[in-house]
Amino acid sequence: MRWRYIFNVVSVLTFYFGMSMIFPVIVSLIYRDQSLLPLIESMLATLAFGLTLHLINRRFRTEIISQREGMAIVAISWIMVSLFGALPFFLDGILNTFTDAFFESVSGFTTTGASVLTNIEVVSQSLLFWRSFIQWLGGMGIIVLSLAILPFLGVGGMQLYKAEVPTPVPDKLKPRIRDTATLLWKVYALMSLLQVAFLMFGGMSLFDALCHTFTTMPTGGFSTKNASIAHYHSLYLEIVIIVFMVLAGINFSLHYQVLRGRPLAFWRDSECRFFLISTLLFTVLVSLNIYRSPYERIGDAFRYGSFQVVSIVTTTGFATADYEKWPVFSQFVLLILMFLGASAGSTGGGVKSLRVMLFLKYCGRELFYLVHPRAVAHVKIGGKVVPEDVIRSVMGFLGLYAGIFVLSSLLLSALGVDLVTSMGATAATLGNVGPGLGLVGPVDNFANIPYLGKWLLSWCMLLGRLEIYTLIIFFAPAFWRK
Amino acid sequence: MLKIMIIGAGEVGFNVANRLAHENKNVVIIDKNPEAIRRISDSLDVQAIVGAGNSPVILEEAGIRGTEILLAVTDSDDVNLVACLAADLISPTTKKLARIRNVDFDNFHDALREKAPHIDTIINPEIEVVKTIGLLMTVPGAVDVGELVDGRVKFVGIQLDKGAKLAGARLTSISSVAGKGNLLIAAIIRKDTLIIPTGKDTLEPNDLVYFICEDSKLPEILEVFDKREEPFRRVLIVGGGRIGLRLAKMMEDQSIYTKIIEKDPSRCIQLADSLNKTVVLNGDGSDQELLREENIKDMDLVITLTNDEETNVLSSLLAKQMGIRKTITKISKFGYLPLLSAIGIEQVVSPRLSAVNSILRHIRRGKVLATKSIMGEQAEIMEAIALETSDIVGKPLMKIAFPSGAIVIGISRGEGNFIIPSGDSVIEPGDRIIILADRKAIPKIEKILTVKLEFF
Repeated sequence: MRWRYIFNVVSVLTFYFGMSMIFPVIVSLIYRDQSLLPLIESMLATLAFGLTLHLINRRFRTEIISQREGMAIVAISWIMVSLFGALPFFLDGILNTFTDAFFESVSGFTTTGASVLTNIEVVSQSLLFWRSFIQWLGGMGIIVLSLAILPFLGVGGMQLYKAEVPTPVPDKLKPRIRDTATLLWKVYALMSLLQVAFLMFGGMSLFDALCHTFTTMPTGGFSTKNASIAHYHSLYLEIVIIVFMVLAGINFSLHYQVLRGRPLAFWRDSECRFFLISTLLFTVLVSLNIYRSPYERIGDAFRYGSFQVVSIVTTTGFATADYEKWPVFSQFVLLILMFLGASAGSTGGGVKSLRVMLFLKYCGRELFYLVHPRAVAHVKIGGKVVPEDVIRSVMGFLGLYAGIFVLSSLLLSALGVDLVTSMGATAATLGNVGPGLGLVGPVDNFANIPYLGKWLLSWCMLLGRLEIYTLIIFFAPAFWRK
Repeated sequence: MLKIMIIGAGEVGFNVANRLAHENKNVVIIDKNPEAIRRISDSLDVQAIVGAGNSPVILEEAGIRGTEILLAVTDSDDVNLVACLAADLISPTTKKLARIRNVDFDNFHDALREKAPHIDTIINPEIEVVKTIGLLMTVPGAVDVGELVDGRVKFVGIQLDKGAKLAGARLTSISSVAGKGNLLIAAIIRKDTLIIPTGKDTLEPNDLVYFICEDSKLPEILEVFDKREEPFRRVLIVGGGRIGLRLAKMMEDQSIYTKIIEKDPSRCIQLADSLNKTVVLNGDGSDQELLREENIKDMDLVITLTNDEETNVLSSLLAKQMGIRKTITKISKFGYLPLLSAIGIEQVVSPRLSAVNSILRHIRRGKVLATKSIMGEQAEIMEAIALETSDIVGKPLMKIAFPSGAIVIGISRGEGNFIIPSGDSVIEPGDRIIILADRKAIPKIEKILTVKLEFF
């Protein structure tokens, strides 16, 4: 491990991240709100830190990064931007402990959308913007963004890309990683632009449309309103947001194919098909379950059922209804959806449809082997054989995911949190969903979680966003051995 | 952006892909073997696809339509030929290069190029290697030799001995020793680093010095470097594979007394069939008893060409130990190259490196006639035609914004007029210019060599 090389890369990333704070500063100047000074202070602190770290390590440049170093760079960068991203909240005083500010920042970058703010509407416009903006940055990935706009990462980019976008079967849209990253961000930006237009057409102000787009496209879930999307009481806006949440939950390489004139790409892809069908199926189940109690009209049941299901399965976390008042069956379905998550290669979190599909097919094959002990069978997805090492890695992932869920819930309960809240909060943060169950449901927030619990859940959010391996590897003794 | 597709992720495919990826080109590489593909996608920024490169379906999926150049460099000639054919069906405009090693095709290379529409260039690294060995034999003391400008100019790498009179000399003083305008030191390799020298640099013992000079002046210049060696009259070849056979035939043509050692008895019979004067011996090249019996001490040169790297290295070391003054060793794994000079093996040939060299020549944009790698991957010598529309024409060299890490080391104008350039030399349209560029400067050099219009 060449730590000084690693810190050099991290320093440059931190510096450019500091530059991006110019956007909330501009917002602050437009709205003349009280957060201007804290924002400028945060920006200068970040820039100064990045620059100093860079100057100390400037002689350590490298073209080739090993897989380990790639993971270290990505993990440290994410922790670094989360730390500095917390500064505006902390210096402004809206969150008076650094724990809270860090939690909010991590929740932003990891596109979780779990908040410790009890009253969102008193927060200044520029900080609301910052809160949404960091979700937008984190959604497609800060490393992927850096690969697209910063030329210096060059050849080593592949290792970084793999560490930040750890899909089971990586697909490169273009031969060069930089072109792939640029393309992904272009598609992302284009879809964001479309959503802003659609939201403004429905009567949202430019500011709200921007903030909500910044939290829909990355499946984040921060809102500028206390009541989230329910604030607007607009069927049109809800439909627009449902559509864009679903789109954000689909593999972005499929969007690229559709934009290139292959409109059937969504349907041809077996993972996408699985994701769309299961979303539809769960919508119907939940809607039927909430019909008559609490919703009298079937139309309302579908309206609220579909929004909540899509919001949870894509791991966005917007709310138009308090699902904790729904029957237990519906709540349980939503809990399952927190684990299921969106598609691989999307901005959504959770276990991801592809892994669930692989798991189900793998189980199916085991049963098949029991019946036909001498059979030769492969696990196939979309007609293609899945290599055994991919299956092995997916099984490992599922095991770790389950293990971390159990351990974190256990630790939370040890801190005195009740059972439903412990499990709900862990599932919601590990899956980057946002609202959980119990005390952290859609109309509550995470303010009442104990101090240590917030650090634990911040950790879960990072684990979920970087899909476990990239972070957990730091705890493997083999990683540190020379 | 130039898109290149490579079929076959072996040593040649890997190294060409590596080189091109560093130059920011779009590279797609296809191989049947998932392990080879994983190795590529773990270490290179290229698109790596598992599949049969000779399948039109795979080629189409990989995007052969938008590809400018296809390189078919798998180990199988047949796969390479079919890959070109299949590519031609889908995308006739793609330029196609095939590696073909079968000797039986030797006389049909031109026919393939002219008549079969699907192949633009044939690459046979074995022919290149035999040529290189021939060059190494003609320039005594050279570690590396390349021919430029149709063989009229030689590019030579030479190891400076401890007692040589040039050791410690400043470069400015060398031209007075060698005669003005005869010799240009293009690069010095000192302890694995490449130095592009200025007049102030000095030569040190054990430096690997690369220089360029006209073929006719080479003997005098070798004198300057204290390299005087008798021509080779007796040669021992270890390994009677395809390269060994080709080389032995060449030796027979030059009336050099040749012995060839081959382990496989049935191969020996084949060798004896097709060779007339050469002595074919059945045995192991690392067998001391056999070597002594065959009077190895009287040999001038031992060339080790078996398919096993370790055997080659060991046989060469053994030969040196037994008093042979020069050995040439065939090496395939590029990773070994830095190690070899440390253990005293200096003259090395590599079919793979030859293949990479001849492939790169076809990929370089502009009118590049020849390329030669030095120090593995670190730098490259390019021979190119100066186009009228290029930026480098018509101005004194010192006024041209040349990228750092690259210099013009020779200008050849018409028949027999070779200029060692200085700051006020002017390149005229149609000149053949020779450029030394380190890896980072290559993309910029390509831009300079291409036509201006492309950039407006």
